[in-house]
Amino acid sequence: MRAFAYQKPLRAINFICHAPEAKTVSLVGDFNEWNPAALPMKQMPDRSWLLTVELKHGHHRYAFLVDGVLTLDPSAQGITRNDKGERVCLVPVS
Amino acid sequence: MSKTANTLPGNRKRPSPGRSRSPVGRIHPVVIYPIVQPRDYSDLQALYQLVRRLAADKSRYARPITVLDRKTHYAMRGDKAFLDFRRHTVSRCSEVLDVWAVDTCQMWYSGLGAAYERGGERDVYWLIPGDFNYGTKVGRQVLNRLHDLPEIILELDQDLCIGEIATDHNNPKQLIDTYGTFGLLYTWFPAEAQEIRQYTERPRSEFLAVRHGFLGEALCQRWYPYEQTMVMLLQAIFGNKGITRFFVGDISDLPEGKESLASAMQQVERTERVLKTVWRERHQGDADWIERYRELAGASGQVRYTAISILRNLLA
Repeated sequence: MRAFAYQKPLRAINFICHAPEAKTVSLVGDFNEWNPAALPMKQMPDRSWLLTVELKHGHHRYAFLVDGVLTLDPSAQGITRNDKGERVCLVPVS
Repeated sequence: MSKTANTLPGNRKRPSPGRSRSPVGRIHPVVIYPIVQPRDYSDLQALYQLVRRLAADKSRYARPITVLDRKTHYAMRGDKAFLDFRRHTVSRCSEVLDVWAVDTCQMWYSGLGAAYERGGERDVYWLIPGDFNYGTKVGRQVLNRLHDLPEIILELDQDLCIGEIATDHNNPKQLIDTYGTFGLLYTWFPAEAQEIRQYTERPRSEFLAVRHGFLGEALCQRWYPYEQTMVMLLQAIFGNKGITRFFVGDISDLPEGKESLASAMQQVERTERVLKTVWRERHQGDADWIERYRELAGASGQVRYTAISILRNLLA
């Protein structure tokens, strides 16, 4: 067993949003204080939106902002609510 | 979406939550030992490998509790394999709580209650059902994810975390929930049912973790002898508690746990009985509650009759 440690390793996580008709998509979550401008996603040739973010170990709440509308990730591993009471997704990072 | 590699609890670094208001809560694992002892111990062996790791991580986990029904004990009296497994595996890594229980939910009550009395304000209680196929490849993957449930409570300051398993549409439990549980929930508690469904399709999941304060509230209210997860979900919504659903993987009941039509009917009937009682307890102070109750009971009976008719066609 590894020793107890207060380390926060980072791990690269891929977020993919299927919104082919959207004009802008960004990633919001606990990790960027839900700032809509902090993490814009890039549209791929297949018209889905991709962003790779390094996240600390633990569980993070997030959602996509698709043309300004808070949108859940259908393949998220969990569902919860943010501090505003909005339904958002959950990603575990280990 | 995102991909993560899961590591074994007890072998992983302690999460360092950024948002937690509860930095050092302990986790109390409570294992519900199968009432019917499976012939093959491989699933339980896999489960208790996890329990052994939890027991060894004393800084993070309280000593696990295994709740064992005395009926199981007496049914297996004289069975050397069972007695050896209890003595050499279960007892070594957990405290065995021998109880006489009318139902699995009473085993939950005894186990969670015992753990609660040893816990503190920041602690979390983690219910682990024993009767799943943990010994399979998929089952082991699930075992490696279950620890997320109590960790989510601690990290995200939640009150209740429900573990959801993937099932196909023809899985008996899924059929019971689709045609029975939700139909009845929408009848008795329409607003709360919508809220529950926004979180989970499995409101009767046996995988859950619960925060000390909310468990205390639930324990001190009437503890229903069945479908307690659904009741806790309702209580959480009544009390505006923090609820999270987390996917723990694909897993199926052991063969001993497969639903017969009779079992499915019993589950639908129990769900209706519980919902009637919860509704009455919440509304019996209202002036017109008897009329409203009778009206809802009539509608509920129709839902139950329809659900059982559908289940008969699908399961018989």
